[in-house]
This record gives sequence, structure tokens and C-alpha cells, in this order.
Amino acid sequence: MLKLILTRLALAVPQLLILSFLVFLLTYLMPGSPAAAILGYSATPESIAKLEAQLGLDRSFLERLGEFYAQLFQGSLGTSFLNGRPVLDLYAERLPATLSLIVGGLLVAILIGLTLGIIGGTKPGSVRDRISTAITSISLATPEFWIGIILLLVFAVQLRLFPVVSYVPLHVDPAAWARGLVLPSLALGIAGAALIARQTRTAMAGAMSSRYVDSLTAAGVPRRRIIFRYAFKNSLVPVLASTGLTVSIMLGASFAIEKVFGFPGVGGLLLHSVTSKDLAIVQGGVLLIAILIILVNLILDISYGLINPKARPA
Amino acid sequence: MPRTKAMITRAVVPFAAAALLLAGCSTGTASPEPTDDGGDATLRVNFGQFPENWSPGQEMEGGPMRIAYETLLIPGENGPEANLATDWELTADSLTLTLRDDVTFHDGTAFDAEAVKANIELVKGGTTAYAGPLQAIESVDVVDATTVVLNLSSPTPSLPVTLTSRVLPIGSPAAIADGSIATAPVGTSPWAYDDATSIVGTRMVFSEFADYWGEKPGFANIELVSITDPEASAAALVSGEIDVTDTEVDVFPRFEGTSIETLAYPAIRNNLFFFDRGPGGVFEKKELRQAVCTAIDLDQWAKIDGEGQPATQHFVEGDQGYSANIDGYPFDAAAAQKLYAAAGSPSVAVEMVGAPYNSRQIEIYMEQVRAALGNVNVTVTQLPPPQYNGEWNSGKYPLGLSSNDEQTAFEWYSAWFAAGAPGNPSGVESAALKAAADAAIAAGSGDEADALWAKVTETIADEALTCAHARGVEQLAWNSATVSGVAAPAERWEPKSVNYRDLTPAK
Repeated sequence: MLKLILTRLALAVPQLLILSFLVFLLTYLMPGSPAAAILGYSATPESIAKLEAQLGLDRSFLERLGEFYAQLFQGSLGTSFLNGRPVLDLYAERLPATLSLIVGGLLVAILIGLTLGIIGGTKPGSVRDRISTAITSISLATPEFWIGIILLLVFAVQLRLFPVVSYVPLHVDPAAWARGLVLPSLALGIAGAALIARQTRTAMAGAMSSRYVDSLTAAGVPRRRIIFRYAFKNSLVPVLASTGLTVSIMLGASFAIEKVFGFPGVGGLLLHSVTSKDLAIVQGGVLLIAILIILVNLILDISYGLINPKARPA
Repeated sequence: MPRTKAMITRAVVPFAAAALLLAGCSTGTASPEPTDDGGDATLRVNFGQFPENWSPGQEMEGGPMRIAYETLLIPGENGPEANLATDWELTADSLTLTLRDDVTFHDGTAFDAEAVKANIELVKGGTTAYAGPLQAIESVDVVDATTVVLNLSSPTPSLPVTLTSRVLPIGSPAAIADGSIATAPVGTSPWAYDDATSIVGTRMVFSEFADYWGEKPGFANIELVSITDPEASAAALVSGEIDVTDTEVDVFPRFEGTSIETLAYPAIRNNLFFFDRGPGGVFEKKELRQAVCTAIDLDQWAKIDGEGQPATQHFVEGDQGYSANIDGYPFDAAAAQKLYAAAGSPSVAVEMVGAPYNSRQIEIYMEQVRAALGNVNVTVTQLPPPQYNGEWNSGKYPLGLSSNDEQTAFEWYSAWFAAGAPGNPSGVESAALKAAADAAIAAGSGDEADALWAKVTETIADEALTCAHARGVEQLAWNSATVSGVAAPAERWEPKSVNYRDLTPAK
């Protein structure tokens, strides 16, 4: 297992280097001048040139790239053009909200996805399979922000069970934090459950039609035990793979959910920074998301190794 | 089946119980209940995203800005009125301000002439959104604690009006010096930012400032939330979580049968400009510009837009610069064709840019022009906002349209039509316009100056340097069960704002 972890960690380094270069390149190529965006309508060519010089935007590509990597190796992501604050501080303030949302959404997605997948996969072609497949298809086709708005209108406006402006940091009030997470997590989780449900259904259907299940059935092992102790366990590897992909998709979808529920997460900061051309925040945000995805995949790789010894390197 | 039912029950009941438990939990951020006399009542307000930077001079909507900050002068019925400055005297060379001596910043430091100097130098010297309007201030002299002189490089009759606007909110010099003002505003208003009870990114709490120099407002405290989605802000309003929000017409059906009321006020002005009007330029000929202006049907655009209002000119009645003689080129296809023929019926194929928020309006205008004039084709390219902001009026494109927030005729002329104006990339100004503007500037202020500025704007209209004037409205929605006194803000042409000081808890 240690070898697996070390191999994966070693692979993550070149991944990050390539990613960071691509992030820098893309932000460098973004059209429009950040100085003009900051100065607004009263900008003159002189004031734009002055601000570009102040921000170091008048330097060559290589000079800027060099500074970007120098900062990166010192553990800094630079400072915001707009408010002069360190980019890491800005994301540190917002990451807890996004992580809360992703974890909450993932729990909901796993719960719904596994339930639907097991219901359908244990008896493919049955009425319950068709119903669960239909639910999966609907959730796949429904935009997460729409689900969020419906949940808001029903549970916050009509029933008054949950707040609209919902985020409260965990350290401020754990109960309010949990309460505020319910609707956004449901919105994100419902949208994210489809992939897990489909993968679980396929894997479970394959497992349930295998010979070992026939043998266990013939031996008189109870069906529930066959499903949860044998078939489900053997289906976990492909399900884990889809869970990893679900997390990546959720990171993108969380931006829309943050907007609907007024969550002070990474998405709002990143989107606003793109429109205002705050390059350091854009670069930092994309890098952080990339690191999160690499971390999730690392955890999943280790989980494969734990579940399936064959996945471990020799 | 009983076994399945039992399984479902076992699975569902704990989650349902947890959900009900959570639903019953307190958020820990409940606001004090409104009281009859205001008392310690809290106004909960939403204007979308918080400012990225609270430092004076940064781009900020009036809504958030005016919670924390005050300005030296405030807008009144007949021009600027006293606020942090009690008196002022404008000459061609300077503006002398007399300041209140009883004002304290939220951090306990005193407001004085040095503070005014620090703020002016910050905004003017900084490369920020509002540096431009203060460039006429050459230097600032502190005469004594309550007297400050702004020395001008050229006559600037609009400066008192500028001091009422978002250009110069007055912040604490101490907070400016240590940089903390970027994230924690420190002004002189009745509401001081409370860092301890605010939640970063979600809720900013502004509590009653005990040492406020003026009258106590109707609400002792203000909570500013950040809900950007119109559906979500409507939901928060209907559910009683907020009292006031800016909103969109699309969500008005959500307010039916509730205590929510709405109002619209004009907050944005936009106008079409012909930039390429120099010698040999596409729009050099006045008749061609007039033909384009006459081919645009503003009423039709307003019908499609659903919210916008057509206008004949940039200014409204009562403003210096307004002229009843300006008719704004009402749509007339036949007249447009005549003018086009008088211009020699040139074949025009040019590009114009728009942003996501105004491309539709521009496309409608240009489609009308093509339909009326046939051989005048303007391709509209949509750019992302940062690129659009930097390019639409840079001279790369022969014509352009965007919002223009100039409050006075002097600013309007200086920004777009004077030979050296930043918004006049062709650098061309007619002798008639220059003579009219010089006379108006020399007149200073008063009735004579008003009449001369009206002549300036009439000349601009006659030369068709700009046209297709339109106003965008801001929609406010509020819960009449919790708040009363909502009206359009006194600060005209300021998006996302409300008259905070006149608001009182509903009785």
C-alpha cells in the first residue's frame, strides 16, 4: 500500500506542474486588460498603462511566468489586483463553505445513487428498475440550480423549514451550519446521484448474474446477504470510480448552487474574478480545484488498493 | 413486503427525524424584531455581491457603499447640500470647504481637513475607477482642522456635484494607511461595520454607531447579505429573511398575494456615440449620423426590453444641461432615408461591440438602422465584460454604446465631446461646440450658466454626436410588513441603492 501511495504522490507532482503552466498560459491569453477592467469607464490609455505597469502586466511572458513559479514555490498564489489581499487568504476563507457543500452533496449523492442503483441492479428489467432508471434520467437531465430553486420555494418559502441565506460557519454554530447545508446538499446531491446510480446498477446487475451468486443462492444463503455482503462489495470498485468523477462534476455544479443559496464559496470568488480579470485569483482558484481533484483521485486510488489487492503495484 | 417496508422505515425515519431536528434549529443569526420607534431594529438588505474592495475610489454600488460611508456634500433639490462639509465656495481656481467639527470615524479617530486631504489624494492618485473625476484637483491645502482648499488646474463647475457622488466616500485615514479599509469599511455613517458578528462572504453586520454626529436613522442596525440569484433573493424576501432587495421583473409573480411591494427608478443612462467622426472617418458627415439616429426606434426597443425607458437626451428636466429644445431624433424612416441620401448614401460596413448585458439593445438598434437605411450594416460582436469595458470607447470601433454616469453637463462635455476628451478618440470638436462650452464654463454657476450649458447640449444634439438615449431602471422590492418609507434614493443615477435613512420599521 505504501508503494501505491508513494507512486500516486510522485505522479501528482508532474501533473501539478503541467496544470500550473496551462493555468498560467490560459490566464495570460485571456482577452482584455485587467487594468481597464479595474479602472472602468473613466479609464484613459495613460491610466491603463500606469496601472498595468504597477501590476507588472507590462512585462514579458517569461518574466511573468518566472514570477508566477517563484511565488508558487514559496507557497504563495500572489495577491488580488482588486483588494491587495493574498489569494491564499481569500480561498482559505471560502474553502470551508465549498468543502461543506461538496461533502454534504456527495453524501446525498451516494445515499440516493446507491439506493437507486441497488434497487434497479438487483432486478434488471423489473418495474422498480424502470422506475429507478426513470428517476435517474430525470435527475441527470435537471439542472442543479433549478433543483435548488424548487427546494428553496418549497422548503424555505412555503414550509419555512430551512433558511434561504443558509451558510453559517461550522465554528460559529454547528447546528445552524448543518441546517444551512440541508437544502444546498440535497440540490447538489440529487443532481450528482445519477452517475453513481447508473454505475451501481450496471455493476450490481453484472454481479447478480454471475456464477458465484448462483452458487450462493443454491447454497441457501439469504438474498439480502448475497446482495449486501457479496454482490455489493464486488461492485464497489466501479462505483468508487464513478464517485471520483461525481466529485469532479460536483465541484463545477457547486458554483451554481453557491449562487442560488448565497454560499460564500470558491465558485463565486472565481467567477467574479474571471469577469473582473483578477488574474491571480483565477490562477489560484483553478490550481486549487485541480489539487482538490488530484487529491480525490489519490484517495480513490488508495481505496481501490484497500478493496482490491490486485490494484496494488507489485 | 413487510420486510421491505421495515427496511424503508428504518432507512427513512432517522433521516426524516434529522431533517426535522435541523429544521427546528436556530440559525444563530436571527435579527432583532422591529420595534415601533425603531429602537434596536435591524434592516436586512440585499444588493447582490459585496464590493471586492471597500476602499474609497474603488468601484462600488451605492447600496453597500452608503451603509458605511458618507460624502462631503449630498444631493438636494436645487443642487448639492451640506453634509460632512457645512459650506463651500467654488471659484475658477479652487473649491474651499468648511467641515463639521463634530464628526468621528467608526474607529474613533476625528474627521478633519487632513482626513479629507488623505481621501482625495488616495482616490486621485490611485489607479482606481473614480480617479478620473478628481484629476482637476491639482493639490489640497489644509488651512486648519475644519477648512480645506482644493486647488484646481482648470475651472471645474461640476466638482461640488462630484463630491455628492460615489467618487469620494470619506474613509478613515488610519484604516486607509494600514490597508484594512479594503475589507472592513470605516466611515462616518450611522452604521459601523461589526467584524465580530459578520460572516465572511455571507452577511455583513453594521451596528449602530453611538458617536454619530447626525440624527438617528429609523433602523439602528443594518445586515447586508449577498444573494446574487434573483429567484433566491425573491425567496429570501417572501420568506421574511430580508426586508429590501434589488430585484428583476422576471420574479414579480413570486410577490403576488404577499406583502412585498416594488418600485422602479431610473438608474442607468446609455447613449449611442459616433467615435469615427474625424476627417475621412466613417461618420464624418453630420447627415449620416443624423440618418442613423433617426432610423432608431426607441419605443420599439423599450417594448422589447420591457423595462427600459426612451429619452430625448442624457439629462432630465431640472438638471443643468437639460434643454426642452432637444427632440432626440424621433424615429422616422422616411426622414432617415432623406438624410442618408443627403449624406451621399454611403455604403457602410463596420463592427461594433457589446457586452452580455447590452448586446441585445445594440443589436436591436443596428437591425433598425439596417432596415431603414439598407446599406448601413453594423456587425455587433459580443465581448466578455472586461474586454468590452476596455475597448468599446477606445477608438477601435467607429461607434459605441454603454452606460454613462456623468452627472453634470460639464462632466458630460469633458468626458465625450471636448477635443481632448477621453471618450472622443477622433479628437475632433466643432468651433461652435467649443465656443458654447467655453462660454458655459466661464459663466461658473447660476441661471446664466444653466442657459449656456443647455446651449452646449443642444449643439451636441444638433451635430448628432450622440443619440438613442435610453434609461435603464433599477427594481427595488421590499416587505411592507417589516419596513416602510422605501423610495428611490436621493442619489440619482445610482444603481442598487435605497434611501436608508428614511426607512423605518413598519408599524
